[in-house]
Order: sequence, then structure tokens, then C-alpha cells
Amino acid sequence: MATSSTDVPSGPRTTASETPPQHLTTDDRVGLLRAMLSMRAIEQRAMNLYRQGKVPGSFYDGFGQEAVSVGATWAMAAADRLCVLHRDLGAHIVRGVKPATILSQYMGREAGITSGRDGNVHFGDYRKGCVGMVSMLPDMMLVAAGMAMAFKLRDEPRCAITWFGDGSTSRGDFHEAMNWAGVQNLPVIFVLENNQFAYSTPIDQQFAVNPVQRAAGYGFPGVSVDGNDVEAVFEVTRAARERAIAGGGPTLIEAVTMRMHGHGAHDDMKYVPKALVEEWRKRDPIDRQSARVGALGIDVEALRAEVLAEVEEAAKLALAGPMPDPATATDRLFHPRDAKEILLEDGDAPWSGFAGERS
Amino acid sequence: MTSSSTDTGTIVDVTMPQMGVSVAEGTIVEWRKQRGDWVEADETICEVSTDKIDTEIPSPASGRVVEILVEVGVTVQVGVTLARIATDARPGEPHSAEVDAPPAAPATPAAPAAAPSPPAAARPAPPAPPRPHPERSRRRYSPVVQRVADEHDVDLDLIEGTGREGRVTKQDVLAWVHARSASHSADGEPEPVLHIESPYRPGAGGSVTGPYVAPEGRPLSRMRQQIGEHMKRSQQTAATCTTWIEVDVSRIEVARKQLAITALPLIARCVIGALVDFPLINAWLEDDVHTVHEQVNLGIAVALGEDGLIVPVVRGAQDLSPEGLSRRIRDLARRARARQLSPDDVRGATFTITNPGQFGSMMATPVISQPQVAILDVEAIIKRPVVITDAFGDDAIAIRPMVILGLSWDHRALDGALAARFLANIKKRVESYEY
Amino acid sequence: MTELTYLRAISDGLRTEMREDERVLLMGEDIGVYGGAFKVTDGFIEEFGPDRVMDTPLAEAGIVGTAVGAAVVGLRPVCEMQFADFVSCGFDQIVNVAGKMLYRQGLPVNITVRLPSGGGFSGGPFHSQNPEAWFMHAPGLKVVAPSTPEDAKGLIIASIRDPNPVIYMEHKNLYRHVKGEVPEGSYETPFSARVARPGSDLVVITYGAMVHTALEATEDIEGASIMVLDLRSLVPLDEAAILSAVHECSKVVIVDEANQTCAAGAQVSALIAERAFEDLDGPIVRVASPDIPIPFSPPLEAAVLPSVERVREACRDLLEY
Repeated sequence: MATSSTDVPSGPRTTASETPPQHLTTDDRVGLLRAMLSMRAIEQRAMNLYRQGKVPGSFYDGFGQEAVSVGATWAMAAADRLCVLHRDLGAHIVRGVKPATILSQYMGREAGITSGRDGNVHFGDYRKGCVGMVSMLPDMMLVAAGMAMAFKLRDEPRCAITWFGDGSTSRGDFHEAMNWAGVQNLPVIFVLENNQFAYSTPIDQQFAVNPVQRAAGYGFPGVSVDGNDVEAVFEVTRAARERAIAGGGPTLIEAVTMRMHGHGAHDDMKYVPKALVEEWRKRDPIDRQSARVGALGIDVEALRAEVLAEVEEAAKLALAGPMPDPATATDRLFHPRDAKEILLEDGDAPWSGFAGERS
Repeated sequence: MTSSSTDTGTIVDVTMPQMGVSVAEGTIVEWRKQRGDWVEADETICEVSTDKIDTEIPSPASGRVVEILVEVGVTVQVGVTLARIATDARPGEPHSAEVDAPPAAPATPAAPAAAPSPPAAARPAPPAPPRPHPERSRRRYSPVVQRVADEHDVDLDLIEGTGREGRVTKQDVLAWVHARSASHSADGEPEPVLHIESPYRPGAGGSVTGPYVAPEGRPLSRMRQQIGEHMKRSQQTAATCTTWIEVDVSRIEVARKQLAITALPLIARCVIGALVDFPLINAWLEDDVHTVHEQVNLGIAVALGEDGLIVPVVRGAQDLSPEGLSRRIRDLARRARARQLSPDDVRGATFTITNPGQFGSMMATPVISQPQVAILDVEAIIKRPVVITDAFGDDAIAIRPMVILGLSWDHRALDGALAARFLANIKKRVESYEY
Repeated sequence: MTELTYLRAISDGLRTEMREDERVLLMGEDIGVYGGAFKVTDGFIEEFGPDRVMDTPLAEAGIVGTAVGAAVVGLRPVCEMQFADFVSCGFDQIVNVAGKMLYRQGLPVNITVRLPSGGGFSGGPFHSQNPEAWFMHAPGLKVVAPSTPEDAKGLIIASIRDPNPVIYMEHKNLYRHVKGEVPEGSYETPFSARVARPGSDLVVITYGAMVHTALEATEDIEGASIMVLDLRSLVPLDEAAILSAVHECSKVVIVDEANQTCAAGAQVSALIAERAFEDLDGPIVRVASPDIPIPFSPPLEAAVLPSVERVREACRDLLEY
């Protein structure tokens, strides 16, 4: 229910009629929906393009998990920094990356964020403060911790956030990052997207003790949240951020959700019990937010249509774009000494709570 | 020539002979027998050199050499005892040193000679090839060796390798190139001190071999010194000029095949004919006294390889046919190379022909042999395209064997016009020759 | 100029750059309070404070990964792996996160990773390695290996300033055994090779501690003129200097202290065979450690690491070819 800055919710939450969220305006709530609609529309369009052979390699989506990235990113300030993972397209969208750019990226076009150097969601627009992921998970937890470390060393009121899956917590980098963040008390938010499966491995084969419970072992709180409730995800992230900025250190947020599609487009997820999928379908984050926003009198269908049209337009634009020039394949391996220094830049921060900070 | 000997019981002396009337001394060039060796009477015991000639000395007796009194290179007066032979010894008795001295190798390799036997073909004979290395065809060359050889147009088979098992190294090729360029005169450009490929850099941490040490020189042989003196004296005495003329030797070529001789005696025959027409050239000039000779004593230069050359004389050549000339020239050349010429064989020439043409050279400036007033140089016969004018005055190109005759002549005794006419006379005789 | 040991020269370089650029942050195990396992950062925490001389948890991946994060938000981290051997624990972060970031995302990663490497003092299999070849092989990383105090200081400063990930191989055995003149103040050594001794009959190409072995081995081999080329930089490899040396000398001995297979010298050898074939007057000779873990007991280790005698013998043999 209602939260205060120190009252951290735990356990899944339902979305029965509830009091309006303390920190979200109507625009915020619509914005959250819009971002999720955009993520789903882009990913569905991209899936079609993939099946048409226009998206090379493999394709991953976050179908059914849109709230985790959208909700959390909504709480991040322009000067905060993000390490985004492969089911978190919503983070890029909230930070301001355009749909056409995203589709170009999927199709390996010149106009993509990586200009064809890396594929699908392996991207991060540094001009929006996002760092692109690597495939070794959860390597980026350490990078996020490092960014937070720098903020702390420089005494800056800034925060770093990263997402990672249930499977990746089994690797050593998870421990090193958790330990490091805990011992140095860093302003970092670790979002564990527990979508029940790591490829074909269910969580009961992944760990004996849920990582969220292990957070205490590293010296900081572990918080569970309904990962399919975008406003709950927002709230818990906002609170964690507030704590971090205040010097309270890291938070591990477990966003409980379900991977509705296979690991990738190539995976038919036969190993997932159909009943489980059906149950989670009823908890679809977009449906739930649509209901909320609709109840406020917003024309959700019009919004949906608008988003679809936008994505359609973006697809046309992306399809018209050129492939990268093979002659450039060996470019940009090293940054020249005399070239301008490139660092992460500020991204969009649409939350109303930052309105005072927007110039 | 005679060898003197002195009998003292059983010991016979070998003494320095008088080699010709004016000879006063001689130098031991080589001992063919060593102390303790057995020698038969008339067998060559040593070789001596005089102003005029090198010659072999036959042993005056059979016996065992018991003493060598004059070492190689020492000059002694005629009549001095050179060695002693014990005539009462027996062959087969043990040698005093228990070792047979190896017979000394002849001083001259059997290099091709100039004159009397130029090669039959119009083309000059190829130069003597360097000693073939038995393994050279199997040698492999490293990439850099091949590259450098290519860049400098070097025949790698000529190079001795100093690398492992005789491998030619990069340094070997570069040293060869450097030595070759040092021995060629440049086009007026000074040879750079350091060739760009040279492995040597000034001031680099120590050079490969340290400061250059010149090899030890060898004094010139007595004959070489004599030849040198003669040449210098000639050039200082005579006012030497050289005139050339080009001659078509087609008919000579035909004739020599018929007669089975070389071109030289045929050309010599034409020269003799011209000398009869121009007696002023068949002459001596000594101290402003010009002596015309009736006889043509034709000197023919014979090369003796590294040791130099000698000019045996065909006396009374005016009486000889080309075949006769050929026989005489061949005989003289053979004896010259075998060191069997007598002093009279090399005296009294009134005109000299030199013929080094088998190597392919075209022209030369020979030195006049004193006290003669001219010398004729015959170089290579080379097939060339020439202009032929027929009876109607039409020109055509034909391939003809051509030779350039060069006449060095003493301007104190004659003029250029005479020289040219003399040459033109030879040319006419050669080009209209009929055997 | 001052005479400094190789170790003091590295300290001097770090200190000089830290004074000049407040973004420089040292990270490593025991580098702060203890001054570093080898005392490279002795006295640093007193001057720069614990925020800039960070005693990290025992976590190589953590050190490198957090350094990447700090770098992309504007710090200039210099990580230390206490022994080069431990870099394998941070391999993934170096190769996959740091090395590939710029190429993929256009985001440069300015980190320096110091690897105290090499053997010769009974360090055994886990304290004696020379792992530079692993990082030469990973695209997006620069690799440098100074052999002299002057270069050690100049290269650490240049590495920090280079906006790319730089793996800095500092040879432990040179720390206190090698002294040399070091310019005072701030200067950079370029990422290029250096002719340690000029020559023309044969060139020994090497880097790190083996430069000193090579110089000693080739001081006087029957008066031959032997060049020693100190690579100094492995990525980028100074191809022009290598090819020029081979063109001049035509005989090449390459010395690696590292295990032979796919060592840095193997790349140099391939480069020469491909691009300087027509300059060769003999086979390309390599001297390296055999492909075994570096043993601990002194006679074993001495038999494994390339010695002065082995290098001399290889040169002598090739000179005679």
C-alpha cells in the first residue's frame, strides 16, 4: 500500500482498487503505460521482422515483464546511470531512445545504436546515460557498482541501477558486486528480475536460498515487489534511490515476474508448465496498468493506437535505413588520444518528481 | 745454350748457363729436383730466368742431387755452381729425407694463348670460366641473398660462402658487390664510402672485422718486371700513336676453312705483303737511326697467363705461305708455353702482330716493341651488319665478319697518312684475298 | 634526472600523474595502508587519502568491473592485480566488458590494469606468469611492457592518459634489480619500440626482463654487431621498427620469458615471416620458456626461464648460419 521513504514493501502485491500512489501524477501513470505499450509494440513488430528474416541473429524480448524496466527507470534522475539488460527495453524507451533507432539496432542497420557492431538488445545509448550489456551475466552489476562508487567518491547525489536475472545470481560477479556495494555502502540499485526461469532452468534448480534473502548477508536490504505492477516497481525503486542518495547504501529489489515468451525467439519454452503461463497471463502488467489508467478516464485504446502508429512509422523509417558499410568494420577499436573525451551523458527523466530539476 | 758442368770425381756441378750472347746473369725460378732426389741426365733439374727468356736447364748427369747451392729467386752470374749431383749413387737407394719432394707445378696454368691459334669461329671464345665448385649447383640461397644478388646483378655461383657448410651469407654477397664496384671505375662519380647495403655503419658498436689489414703483397716475377721495363721504355721513347681500320674478313674466313688453319696466318700473310709495299714500316729506329730491313722477321705475341707474354719471331716470314706461317707460329707458341724457346727465338723482330681477339675485345692501343716502329693489333672477328654497295651503286645491308685492325706507330719514324695507307693496303689484301 | 630503481620509477610515475590529475584513482588489494605487496604505492595513502588509494576487497573481477563503471563516468582508475597471475579472475571483465565497449557502444573505457608479472625468484606457478599474450589476443586492449626505469615511468603516465584499456606489464624481477636515469617531472613514453643497442649482424627482439638478459648475452659474441630491440609496446606492436631491424640485420632471435606457444614472440615471428621474407638470411629463431607452469625450485626454474647462456648460444648459432 502506501509507502513512506523508509517503509520498504515486501512480497507480491495485488492490484485491487487502491489509493492513488503518493508520488505519481496522472501524467506519470499514463506515461508509465505508454512506455510499456511502446516496449511491447516495438518488440512485437521486431518479432515479426525477425520471422521475416529482417532481424539477423537471435531475438529476445521482455514480453510480460515490461513493468520491471519501465517502472524502475521512471524513478531514475537524468544524472543517474543505468546498466540495462536484454528484457529491459522499457529502460531505453523511458530514457529517450527512439523506436526507429531501436528497430534499426535490431536489424543491424547503420542507424542502430551500435551501427551493427552488436545485435538485438545488446546496446546502450551513452548519450542517454545507458551502458550496453555484455552476454556474460551479471558482469554489469560490477560496472553499476563502479559508477556508484565514483558518485560516492565525488560526493554526488547520484545513483546507479542495473538489472539482472535469477540465473545470473549464481555467478561469482553477483557475489563480488553485492559484497563490494555492501562493504563500500554504494548508491546502487540492483534489480533482480526473477522471471522464474533462466532459459530452461527453473529457480528451484538455480539457488537454495532466494538472493533477495541473501542481501542481508551483504549488509543491505533485499526487497521483493510485484514485478508486474509498474507503479509498485516504481515506488520501491524510488524509495531505494532516495535511500541511496541519502547515503543509505545499496538495495536489492527482487521484481517477481514471469517470462511469457521463450528465452529467445528460438525457444518454444516447452519446459514451462502451461498452467503457470496462463496464471501469469492474467497478471499482465499492461492490462493492469491499462485498467488503472482507463479508470481515470484516459482513452487507453486511443493511446494504444497512437503508440502502434508511432511504431509503424518507426518501422518504415528503420527498414529504409542502410546497412553498415563493411569498410568500417575495423574502425573504432581504439579511441584516439587527441579525440574528445566521451563519457555517459544525462538521459530523459520524465517523472514528475524531477520536474523541479528539469531545465 | 749449353750447360756447363765440372767433374770432380763422382760429383758433377750444375752451373748457370749462358743464355744468349749478351746474358750475364740468371735467376733461379724453380727447382724441379730437391736434395736427395734422383735425376737422369738431360732431365730438367731447374728453371731459370734471364733478361730474355725463361728456360729449363737439363741435368748434366745422372745421379742423386746432393746439394742445392742457389735458392729460388736468387740471381747469380753465368758460370756459378747451382747444384751438385753425386753420380756414384744408385737409384732406389733411400732418399736422404725419406720424402719425395713433389715436382714443382708449372708456373703458368694452361690458359688460352693469344696469337697463333685464334678460335675458328667468328665469335670470340668465351673467357675462361672460374673454377667450378662441385657443390654449387646444389646450393640454396636465403631470401635476402637472392634479393641482394638480384638487385646488384650478381651471379651467386661465383661467390664463396663463409656461412655454415659454405653457405653464401648476406655479408658475402654485399662484400662481393662492394669489391666489384671498387674495382670498376665509376662514371666519374666518387664511390660512396658506405654503400647503402653495406652492413658496416660508422660508430656502430664495433665493426665485424676491425681495421682493414691489407693482404701481403708478392713481388713481381722477374719476367713481369722485365716486360714492364720494356713497356715503359717504349712509351717513354717512342711517340706512340694508334690508327684503326675496319676490315671485312669474309674471304679470310672462307680461306682458312679450306686450308684448315686459323685466320691469323692469313692476315699475317697480308700484313707481310703490305710491309713489302711499305718498307719504312718494316724498320728499326734506334737513337735517331732508322734502319729498314729487307727480311720480315714477324714477331707474334704469345700470352703466358699470369707470367706475362713473350714474342717469338718468325724469321724470314716473307718467304712463307700462310700454311708455312701457320706451322711456324704454332711451333713457336708451343715452345714458348713449354719454356723451350732459345734466346734467338725472341730476337730480331722487325714487325710485331698481337692477336688477343678470342676474348671478344674490339680495339686496343698496343705498345710498340722497341726498336721497331710499329705493331699491329688484331682483335675479335665479330659478325656485324654492314652496308654493301653493288655494281649499280645500290646499297644493301649484309652480315659480314668484321675485324678492327689497330696499328700503333712511332710518330718519330712515320706519319699518320703513311700509317693509314699501310692499313688500307692490308685491308685491300684481306678483302680481296684468294687462296 | 635521478637514478631510480624500476619500482621507484613506477611509483614516481603514478605519483606524478595523481598529483596532476585528480581523476586518477588507484584500486587494488593491500595498496593503501600496506603500501602495496611490493611497496609500489608506499606512502601514497598518506598523500592522497583512502578515497584515491583504495584498498579493495579480494575480488579481481570486482576491481576491474567497478573500474570500468568509474571510468565511464569520468574517473581514471588504475587497477592493480596483486600478481599478474591473478588476472585470470578478472579476465572476463577485462576482455568482454572493457575491451569491447568502445567498439560496440562507442563508449571508451579509460582504465589501466597493472600486472606485476614474471619469474626468476622461486615464485612458483601462480606468482611467475607472463600473461600478456592473452591480452594481445583480445581486441580492444593495449598492452605495454617497459624494461627500464625511464620507460616504466613514462609508460605508466602514458597508459593512464590513454583513453583505452591498457594492460601494463611490470616485471617483478626488475623492480629492485634494475636502476637507471629517470627524468624528473611529467613525461610520456610513446607506445613504440626502442633500440636498446644498435647493431647490424643480428637482432634480438624482446621486451621486459628479457631485454636485460639479451643485452648481457650479446655483449661480446666474437665481435659480432648485435642489435637488441626492446618492443616496449605489444599492442600496438611497432611493426615498422621490427621490419626495419630485420631489414638491417637479416638474422633474428626472438626472446620470450613467457611460455613459447602463442607468446608475443610468435606474433612477431609471423609478422617477420610474412612481411620481411626477402630480408632474412636465416631462419627466425625463438627462445622462450617451454610450455609448462613455471616451477618453484631454483634449479628447475633456472632451467626453464631463458637464461643468458641460452640466448647467447642461440645468437652464436644463428650468426654461423
